[in-house]
Amino acid sequence: MKNFTYFRPTTPEQAVTLLEARWGNTEMLAGGTDLLSLQKQYVAQPGRVVSLNGIAGLQTVVVGERSATLGAGVTLARIADHADLRRLFPALTAAAGDIGGPQIRNMGTLGGNLCQRNRCWYFRDEHSPCLLRGGQRCSAIEGENKYHAIFTANHRCVLASPSTLATGLIALGASAEILGPQNRRRTVELAKFFFAPTGPTEREHTLAANELMTSVTIPVRGLTNAAYEVRQRQSSDWPIVQVAVAFSGGRNGEKATGVKIVLSHVAPTPVIAEAAARAVDNRIITDATATAAGRAAVEGAKPLTQNGYKVRLVEVAVKRALMIAAGLPRYWEA
Amino acid sequence: MPWPTTRRVIGTRVQRLDGNEKATGRAKYSFDINRPRMLHARILRSPHAHATIKTLDTAAAEKVAGFRAFYLIKKAGAEVFFAGDEIIAVAADTEEHADDCLRAIRVEYNVLAHQVKEADSLRSTTNTTGGAGVTNVNAGGDFTTDNFENAFAGTAATVQADYGVGVISHQCLESHGLVAEWDDKQENLTVWASTQAVPNTAEGLRVHFKMKPGEVKCITNYMGGGFGSKFGPDIQGIAAAELARTTRQAVKLMLDRAEEVTVGGIRPSAFGNVKIGGTKEGRIQAFEVDCYGTGGVSRGATVSFAILPYVYGPAVPNIKRLHRVVRTNIQTARAMRAPNHPQNSILTELAIDDLAARLNVNPMTMRLANLPPDDVAEAKTNPRGYIAQRGSIYRAEIAIIRKMCNWDRDWHVPGAQKGTIKSGMGMALHTWGGGGRGPNPTRVTINANGTVLAQSSSQDLGTAQRTLMAIIIADVLGLQPTDITVTLGDSSFGPSTPSGGSTTAPGTSPAILKAAETARDAFLTALAGRLNVQRNQLSIAPGVVVNAANNQRIPFRDACSQLGVPNVQANADWPTTKELQNSAPLREEWTTRLTNQGVGGVQIAEVKVDTETGIVTCSKFWAVQDCGLIINKLACESQVAGGVIMGLNYALYEECIFDRVTGRQVNADMEFYKLAGIADMPPIQVHMHDMPERGVIGIGEPPTIATAAAVGNAIFNAIGVRVPIAPFTPERVLAALANRRAGNP
Repeated sequence: MKNFTYFRPTTPEQAVTLLEARWGNTEMLAGGTDLLSLQKQYVAQPGRVVSLNGIAGLQTVVVGERSATLGAGVTLARIADHADLRRLFPALTAAAGDIGGPQIRNMGTLGGNLCQRNRCWYFRDEHSPCLLRGGQRCSAIEGENKYHAIFTANHRCVLASPSTLATGLIALGASAEILGPQNRRRTVELAKFFFAPTGPTEREHTLAANELMTSVTIPVRGLTNAAYEVRQRQSSDWPIVQVAVAFSGGRNGEKATGVKIVLSHVAPTPVIAEAAARAVDNRIITDATATAAGRAAVEGAKPLTQNGYKVRLVEVAVKRALMIAAGLPRYWEA
Repeated sequence: MPWPTTRRVIGTRVQRLDGNEKATGRAKYSFDINRPRMLHARILRSPHAHATIKTLDTAAAEKVAGFRAFYLIKKAGAEVFFAGDEIIAVAADTEEHADDCLRAIRVEYNVLAHQVKEADSLRSTTNTTGGAGVTNVNAGGDFTTDNFENAFAGTAATVQADYGVGVISHQCLESHGLVAEWDDKQENLTVWASTQAVPNTAEGLRVHFKMKPGEVKCITNYMGGGFGSKFGPDIQGIAAAELARTTRQAVKLMLDRAEEVTVGGIRPSAFGNVKIGGTKEGRIQAFEVDCYGTGGVSRGATVSFAILPYVYGPAVPNIKRLHRVVRTNIQTARAMRAPNHPQNSILTELAIDDLAARLNVNPMTMRLANLPPDDVAEAKTNPRGYIAQRGSIYRAEIAIIRKMCNWDRDWHVPGAQKGTIKSGMGMALHTWGGGGRGPNPTRVTINANGTVLAQSSSQDLGTAQRTLMAIIIADVLGLQPTDITVTLGDSSFGPSTPSGGSTTAPGTSPAILKAAETARDAFLTALAGRLNVQRNQLSIAPGVVVNAANNQRIPFRDACSQLGVPNVQANADWPTTKELQNSAPLREEWTTRLTNQGVGGVQIAEVKVDTETGIVTCSKFWAVQDCGLIINKLACESQVAGGVIMGLNYALYEECIFDRVTGRQVNADMEFYKLAGIADMPPIQVHMHDMPERGVIGIGEPPTIATAAAVGNAIFNAIGVRVPIAPFTPERVLAALANRRAGNP
């Protein structure tokens, strides 16, 4: 790991003044579950690290009648265990509880999960060509890509967006509050937060290098919601694909309306599956309609040489997430 | 028999003597050793899978803060054959300084063509792996029984299909490496190494430095996994010792995780096209295999050619086999827990179940019909050996496991279950040698203060070797294992055999027994003199010395205090090879009664397959294992469970994945090189099939052999379609299911 200067500001404003306009030389440190390994692999080589762990305001959770606001520094374990959040937003809390293992969940944070770098094994190997590290080609397209994106049209880099909190938050209509230089504050819908990078000056999101995500606000609208992930190991593993769904009604024979279906690990950003949502919108959720939604979810998929199987997994995950949300029997837990 | 016929401690379940130290972190592994003024070393490795080194410039690195010394491993002009091949080692004040130094070294390479996929390399027209040979392909064996032409004629059914398994890595939790320190005069070297061969490691360094016997000492108190990959100092050990000599400071060089995966050892792959035919009763009439695999740049075989088909070979009348060794630009294969046997098991057992299904024969019936027969000729020289009674051993073990897993009730016809989640059961058999040999000198000292000390230079890999020593001695002296102080893992005590091939328990146990018995006799003789009684009036009973002259029961510690000398001591060891050759009685005692070789073993897996996602969960597992005389039942059960865990990983998760273009392993980590966690483990039910009359036989390797094949067969039984290549990952399971839906066989 390259030596760096360590900063530990105590307010968000102080933190922002320590950031730089361009990515690379200064990195923000929260739980460290991503940054430290990137540094050890020399993929990140910051000269300055700004710890966010001295900022008290980033760790609060406030659940009100109309919205819930979670500080960006709230740990994944706390999200997973929070009674009100579990009641209102199982899509979020179930996903949080599935991330990594207890060590990761006790250290990893909400902001870190949304802003983490991707897990592409070429990106994380300094000796392999990678567009995001300034290389001339994406090694994954013709290389080992069984975990990569299947929605690849128009993408030169085929990373798979790794955040599993993003899907639930997007489905629930959440926004992030962001603090920039000169105390500029802005709010961005998480549906518009993510970005498909193609070069070393870009990240997997639209946060500027000198901005800090301070919190995430989720509207409380009484939406039915759930998440489902396909993972190979029960112990500490990444999902192969993950899906979150949210809608009004949709239980006890009632039609589902306003359906949102969001996918992760399938494209360089979370994918809002509009065709899938239409397939089940204003319908009663059954095995058949959920299956149809799953089929619609993979319209336009263009898998790579080794990941065609993920198309099938998306179909299944969408179906199962809808059935969980609708309270239908979990036939796969036989 | 030469073992005590009444065994009070031997054969019981004894917890590891060092369990608390390990569980609490007090145990200091080689990785934990820190010496005064110790430096840290790292190795610069080739990023290319094949290249020559054009230039090597260390000038900038020498100016980096913390730099201390270099040790050049490959000079400019040298050829490197895999990504990770060693070039130069550097010692610096800290690991981070050492990394900075490495990154300041400028190396120019002339990058050459490479092959990292065995299927590509099989078709290679050039040699990218060095040495003689026009291509990367080498003959591995070619064998056909007489009159094979008509072997398949008249079979009731024949199956021909491809099967295989990829390359995996040892992934030792404690990585390879050591700490090296010279004495002030630079005449004696001490290393704390993570090794399965304590004296061998010292000897490897002694030879490298051209030193005299006894001038290199290797210490290994605790060891975090080797599995066959840690038998000597290795290049990193030599580099650390060289750097320690140059800098006159202790040097630590342990591999990091990526290095451990890319250079710490691999198990070769094996892929084969198998044709198997049998009678309607399920007797295999002919077995034909054309197989290949890669052990990286190694030329070694990737299957155990002579015993393919595996286990059942002696019962199969017609056999044809062809093997090709396909070299690739990846690290050299190292022995890995039952080298090449799991590959044999996959190539054999999966084909047998496919034939059983085609014949409509229950797989258990099929195996019973093809067991290797007890060998009558062998029975004359070694009646208690595996070969003399292998058929009987398997038959007994299958009868046991059949009840344990309720096979008759729960096994179903392949693919018979309805629903999305389908469960199935599959079985496989295995065999391994596991005989012992010397030298393994052992010393037992009974002290006047009542303590008992046991010494050998052997190593405890985590297999409870310490505890095994204490159990045998405690049994002989009427004590508890916790009464015995064991010191091992120090080469200065003398020679010992490496812990490889399941040889440690049989290699050390008889010497421990003899040393304990000799010490006991010397102890009672000395005591008789002091008590003015005949020697034969004294005997050992639990916790006491019994004096038949006056019916007195003297507590052991009190008896020790009456010795009149500081201690009595006894040494024992195996007869030499020559003595064994020249003496039939010695040979019989040491190699057929005190120890023996050859074990069977039967395993059955139950899996659940999610047919929509292809995810396989192993839900239950049963293992029946023999290993002759059991010394520590708990440790044996633990070894079997550990072997099963390793085999489950082989079946479901593990695979070294290489990029064709860069030639680099993309998953040199523990993130995408997947290993099961506790949540992925089934309940594992182990039954030790005790055969004490056979003497001690090793148990390290056998229990990992059959596991992957049993899981593969359980998947076939669940979904009714064969997933031919391990690991049985979701994409492979889904592909097999899709293939069937498409109407292919």
